[in-house]
Amino acid sequence: MPIRLLSSEVASQIAAGEVIERPASVVKELVENALDAGAKSITVSIAEAGRKLIEVADDGSGIASDELALAVSRHATSKLSKADDLFHIATLGFRGEALASMGSVSRMVITSKVAKSNVVGSRPTKAGARIKVEGGREGKVEAVGAPTGTVVRVEDLFYNVPARLKFLKTDVTERRAIDALLTRYALAYPNVRFKLSEGNNVTLQTSGDGDRRAILAALYGVEVAKQLLEINSDEEGPSTGSGLKLSGYVSPTALTRSNRKDITFFVNGRWVQDTPLTAAFVQAYHTLLMVGRYPMGAVFVEIAPEEVDVNVHPAKAEVRFRNQNRVFGFVQRAIRRGLLAYAPVPTVTPGLWGSRAESSPQVGLDWTIAHSSDQLSVDSDQLEDVSRESGVGQPSDLQPSNFQTTAANKVPLLRLIGQIGSTYLVAEGPDGLYLIDQHAAHERVLFEKLMAQHDMKKIPSQSLLTPAIVQLPPASAKLLNEQLSILTHFGFDVEDFGSNSFRVRAVPSLFAGSDPSAALRAIVEDFEEDEAPLQNEIEKKLAARVCKRMAVKGGQTLSPDEQRALLTNLENCDSPRTCPHGRPTMIHLSVEMLERQFGRRGAR
Amino acid sequence: MKVTVLQENLARGLGIVSRAVSPRSTLPVLANVLVASDEGRLRLSATNLELGITCWVPARIEQEGSTTVPSRTFSDLVNTLPSDQVLLSLDAKTQTLNVRGGSSTNDIKCIDAQEFPPLPVPDLDGAVQLNVADFREMIQQVAFAASTDEARPVLMGVLVQVEKDKLTMAAADGFRLSVRKAALASPAPAPLTAIVPARALVELARVASDGNEPIYMVAPKGRGQVLFRVKDVEVVSQLIDGTFPDYQQIIPRKYTSRTLVSTAALLKACKQAEIFAREGSNVARLNIKSASSDLQPSEVEISATSEETGKNETIVEATVDGSGVLIAFNVKFLREALEVIKTPNVALETSAPNAPGVVRPVGDEQFLHVIMPMHLG
Repeated sequence: MPIRLLSSEVASQIAAGEVIERPASVVKELVENALDAGAKSITVSIAEAGRKLIEVADDGSGIASDELALAVSRHATSKLSKADDLFHIATLGFRGEALASMGSVSRMVITSKVAKSNVVGSRPTKAGARIKVEGGREGKVEAVGAPTGTVVRVEDLFYNVPARLKFLKTDVTERRAIDALLTRYALAYPNVRFKLSEGNNVTLQTSGDGDRRAILAALYGVEVAKQLLEINSDEEGPSTGSGLKLSGYVSPTALTRSNRKDITFFVNGRWVQDTPLTAAFVQAYHTLLMVGRYPMGAVFVEIAPEEVDVNVHPAKAEVRFRNQNRVFGFVQRAIRRGLLAYAPVPTVTPGLWGSRAESSPQVGLDWTIAHSSDQLSVDSDQLEDVSRESGVGQPSDLQPSNFQTTAANKVPLLRLIGQIGSTYLVAEGPDGLYLIDQHAAHERVLFEKLMAQHDMKKIPSQSLLTPAIVQLPPASAKLLNEQLSILTHFGFDVEDFGSNSFRVRAVPSLFAGSDPSAALRAIVEDFEEDEAPLQNEIEKKLAARVCKRMAVKGGQTLSPDEQRALLTNLENCDSPRTCPHGRPTMIHLSVEMLERQFGRRGAR
Repeated sequence: MKVTVLQENLARGLGIVSRAVSPRSTLPVLANVLVASDEGRLRLSATNLELGITCWVPARIEQEGSTTVPSRTFSDLVNTLPSDQVLLSLDAKTQTLNVRGGSSTNDIKCIDAQEFPPLPVPDLDGAVQLNVADFREMIQQVAFAASTDEARPVLMGVLVQVEKDKLTMAAADGFRLSVRKAALASPAPAPLTAIVPARALVELARVASDGNEPIYMVAPKGRGQVLFRVKDVEVVSQLIDGTFPDYQQIIPRKYTSRTLVSTAALLKACKQAEIFAREGSNVARLNIKSASSDLQPSEVEISATSEETGKNETIVEATVDGSGVLIAFNVKFLREALEVIKTPNVALETSAPNAPGVVRPVGDEQFLHVIMPMHLG
């Protein structure tokens, strides 16, 4: 086939394919336009999951009638004028492609009226204007009466691109994509009123009064939304205007998901899917969650527009940071700090201890989370109003009235009662009974001591009388060789002794009581499966692993003095409630629960 | 069995053997003491299968016989009986031991002696003869350095070596080594090398508390056991199987600095440092300064710092031979070594911050202690 130039129609359809790939993309572009236009209220109506109709109406600044024809042509925008502007983009859109792309793959009608105050020049605009675009062919601009703002109707999406139409998923999936998208924008812009409806069915409605928790309820469900912890953090930058701000809602450690999908990031009000950011979020929960469980939450990062490049992805779903490590570190620290401030102890759900447990003895103990009610910054009255107005959830469910109270972060002063099954310690606190897993607790104690010494760059190490020679399988030996420098940081003195063996000459004094070769083996066992992107994380992982091996095991009888020492050390830990691998170190049985179980407080 | 025995003899015997009783054993008979008539004396035995102690008590035997009596009940009872004769009579059919003393009579339920594990009958031919006082001091100077980590059983024992008229004992826990030598009054008939559990030796030192009678030690070949007899007490222990590290290699041959200090002064300084060091990792720094001029005498500065507690610094007068050095030790190790040194002065030999330090009593070539240093990374 000879080479020839594509017709403009085909070219624009190809270009549109990058921006508009499904109904949700249309909604995204239009909602972003509305938000850029300063709308206070955005109404989205769809029909047949957006295939038939998508209509986005806003009360923003509108488009002047003489600019309307220009607006629908490619590379026409009001948001950018020169290339330099690209590096400090403060608007969601900037490429001037959205309307043109939509116009080329659908029948589009734009009706717009400029608000009076916005009129430039002397010519008064009495009415709005309307333009039709069908498959890329622009119609005439005609004057019509319209309210201030813009209404874009996109009908018969992809009617002229049957291939694309075939690739759309089921209605349910497409509708969910639109839902998810709009909910996230509602979350990012709590001061804008959003409404999404399909026919008479209103699926999302927000009040626009700035309260995010009601929107969270729509996104994650009422139960989850009321457990999410609110975090806020600021960091000064090296120069003025380069500071970082973070706010949002993150899950407490007891609330987890099996994947990372429920982690949502907004950078400067833009919903982005950024792997490093998500990794930072997950890392903030390092050692607090069980392996294979992930946190959830919505986090809003604000950063100077110059510090972030949004022009890297056609749908702007990805961003690049000028200083990625700084943002990464900041996000991780901010979430971690917020998390440690709450850190509740799992509480046993009393119901399972009663008669119901007998009927289903296989049921494991279920966890709930003991919150301090004052930590949940929910104004219940306000929340109730919001939910009633917006039709989200049942207001009564959102009242944080029946939350149990426990002191945050630290464990209370504990009085040792004894050891049971050579595995658990029993202790009394001011608020009831605590069962403590001695292995998990000791692991946590060792881990924090080691990391504290490591952070102070002062890990005392004890030389061995006779160096221990450890022989490893070739694969492990290679891995260990790569990690030798980290081991030195932790107070090990290990050197390659040739032919896959290593000579250990000193160990951290914390582990002086036990077999040095076991410590070394613990480090390389199962190492193969790890993928650890960051140095810091490797160190923590190594430390956690060694501590696990060195900690007292379940089934080991401890003397009363050892038990007491373990409790005291645990009380001094920063996050005493989980072991470094995320398993809980303690179960709390509150006095109230005991009283209920013994029938002192009326039958359940 | 029908036996009359003096209360104080019986009480003392039970006190000795009950150290080997294992109250929480799965084998109920191990919580009991074997009581048996034995050639005109009463034999008391207890064992936890690793360590066995037997004690013979003078008694008047009217009728031979044996049984096993619950140790705790029997000891507690005998201790409260008046200091007079105690009559023990066993009803073999019901295995009930009647204990009569003063105006009280008691029936204790027993377990048949058949169930009690047999203890080895010693053959003291070829036994090594040891001086009680010396041997007790040796145990005291060595056994504390043994490890308590069950992962390395060899280090939980004390190496006992006998060659001609020389006895050597050594123990190490991976970070320190204690070696004590002694001369035997009479040469041993055959050389002997065994790893004896430190706990057995500690019990032996407790049992052999008085008297000038010699201790006989015998380790029959191929039995994996060692037997000590002192006067009327026998202690039998399982030996630890394995190879003890070659401790001779660990002892440094030379040093660059030798520090002479008063044992008591250094011990006191260590105890003070430990108050602060125990919060952290037991690290104490020794800054050994050699005399630079007449105004600056040689001295040792011992210091410990804790994040929580605070810090401590003690200066001890010293005679430093060689260059100064700054070295850190686990202060507990140092303190424990100094505590068993009897001479008024002690020498600390060092060569580098990462090389082992040697502690020797001045004027006593028989003992030495090696401590590995620590360093702050």
